[in-house]
Amino acid sequence: MNTLLAVIIGALTVYLAYTLYARRIDRNVIQSDPKRATPATLYMDGVDFMPTNRNILFGYHFKSIAAAGPIVGAIVAATLWGWLPAIIWLVLGVSFIGWASDYSAIVLSVRNEGNSLSAVAHRLVSPRTRTVLFLFIFFYLLLVAGAFVGIMATVLESQPRTQFGIILLVAMGLLLGQMLYRWRTGLVGATILTVGITLLAILAGPLTEGIFKGLNAALNGMTGGAPIVTYFDPTLAGFKGAEAKIMPSLLFWAIAICVFCYAGSVLPIWRMAQPVVYVGFWITAMAMVLGLGGAALATFVKPEVAQFQIPAFKGWNPQMGPAGIMPLWPMLFVTIACGAISGWHALFGAVGTARQIENEADMLPVGGGSMFTEFLLGLLALLAVSVGAKGAPVGAFANGLGGFISVWGVPLQYAVSLAFAAFIVIVLVVTQLLFRVMRVTLTEWLGEVIPPLRNQHVASFISIALAILLVLTGTWIYLWQLFGGANQLMAALSLLLVTVWLASVGKNWLYAGIPMIFMYITTVAAILVTAYNIYFNVYQPNLAAGRTLPVVGSGLMVLVAILLVVAAAFIGIDGWRAFMRYLRRPAPAPKAAPARG
Amino acid sequence: MPLRGFTGRLAGGWEAVKQFMYGLTGHEFARHALEMRHEMEAVFMVVTLGDLIGVPILPPIYSLRLLPYVVPEIATWKRNMARRKEFWEREEYDMHGV
Repeated sequence: MNTLLAVIIGALTVYLAYTLYARRIDRNVIQSDPKRATPATLYMDGVDFMPTNRNILFGYHFKSIAAAGPIVGAIVAATLWGWLPAIIWLVLGVSFIGWASDYSAIVLSVRNEGNSLSAVAHRLVSPRTRTVLFLFIFFYLLLVAGAFVGIMATVLESQPRTQFGIILLVAMGLLLGQMLYRWRTGLVGATILTVGITLLAILAGPLTEGIFKGLNAALNGMTGGAPIVTYFDPTLAGFKGAEAKIMPSLLFWAIAICVFCYAGSVLPIWRMAQPVVYVGFWITAMAMVLGLGGAALATFVKPEVAQFQIPAFKGWNPQMGPAGIMPLWPMLFVTIACGAISGWHALFGAVGTARQIENEADMLPVGGGSMFTEFLLGLLALLAVSVGAKGAPVGAFANGLGGFISVWGVPLQYAVSLAFAAFIVIVLVVTQLLFRVMRVTLTEWLGEVIPPLRNQHVASFISIALAILLVLTGTWIYLWQLFGGANQLMAALSLLLVTVWLASVGKNWLYAGIPMIFMYITTVAAILVTAYNIYFNVYQPNLAAGRTLPVVGSGLMVLVAILLVVAAAFIGIDGWRAFMRYLRRPAPAPKAAPARG
Repeated sequence: MPLRGFTGRLAGGWEAVKQFMYGLTGHEFARHALEMRHEMEAVFMVVTLGDLIGVPILPPIYSLRLLPYVVPEIATWKRNMARRKEFWEREEYDMHGV
């Protein structure tokens, strides 16, 4: 297998699934009508509801859904099961489930006056569904935040060449916000300056490596080289499990990330979160575009970086830790999330994008098209880790992506630096936004009952403290899989709402209903398997060794897993009742929207 | 004619790429700038014409003098206010109404 063949498979998947399946559903089931007025045109307020050109909205929606998900998922899955199961799930997932979920969430909102999923659930299913959804969203954000902080702290601490670039990224983000919103500088000039400096700092990473190695050594010297926390990590020693240590340098970078996320959460969004995301976007986009092009050309130009190095298939149930099980079903289907299907896409699409849809004919190119583009991002990550092979999972990804970038003539050392930085940047900018949304969700969910949570500092602090507690368990792969389970379950719940809505208006619900049943059963099973793994692989060994922090952290993870399953059961039961009710007696057709023009 | 058709398609494709790039990069900033302006306008409207949505303010003569200028905005403003729990609260921008 080489990368060119994989790129051809990816392009064919997009073409065939879009033209033969997605368009047919759009035409025959949803019957999108360009003459029907959309919420954006009906309720235009110049802010939330605003008709927007389809190409602009495609770019906007893609940027909003593309994050670290497709990259981390592909890295972990290829490491655990090999590249073949990963690529099969990516192709089948996006073709039959992923695009349907993203597109349908937008359709659902557009046909329901621009309401969010929770508001539609409140109306179509039951009032308590909205509250349960909030609980669900908060814990699922907590899981991904914990996984991301853990990954980033590990990579930053172990790769001193990346640290200078990341510090400059934050500084340039702050400068960009000031230039755009206070000094009123033009976007193009400000972009060239800030992105240029950040890029130079990233490329200069190998030159500054010595300074940051010295910093790490000085930090570790404070405890005489002794660790701060010791814990049992089942992912070490080739997944056999071993004792792991949290050194002062790792804690320092974890705290630095949390300070950054805290600032991103409480400062006005224009001051920090938005411009840092923007600068980071250019760095990541540059690495990804060069990487995808390099992957396609490498077969001809530099064949040694185009050959897959990892086995196609590593087994149905690889062992992880002394008591861990990792069956391909259901675990693969939650490990690779965003490149195949994701709940976050549906959540965001239903409000952020649906309220800007100008014409019903745009729903498929925007919703489905963005999902197919996200699939290509996941495919690139899978290719990079499959050819990279050397080092830990993230290191293999960076080596592979660096190899692709080097096809364009960039020296390998600098290309790998750019690849590492691109990975950290995409995770970092997403994490600060996660804490921001967590803070708002916590306030919205419990603020009425517990008034102190309405204070943004209190809500942010609690969110970050909980995430740090999860990080101290040291098992980010389990955290990632638990997040994947929650994320995919969110997608299943979104498909459940779509199925109920389709039944309520008397349309054929099978295209959403069948994937919903598959995802619902798979994700609940995956969450239970992960809870089992955490209990026997992390909680018990650390309890036996009398380590308090890892025990509390892993206990919290098991509790969150149980809560997610209970919440899903509530929503499933309510959804089933509503579905049967509508099947017996379809709801009256929604009032016809006035024709435009 | 075919040449013009080809160049026309090329120009259309280039325009679509530019719009896509704008969507990826500038659209978020533009939306947020609009949001900020909208919030300032909402405060202005509540202070001057709050009685239209039941906020008890004294009806100063200046409100009546401003009325002709803000008439086009009133329907949108009232709709926006009606979506809030309280008129002084709003959904966080980055929550996007989730």
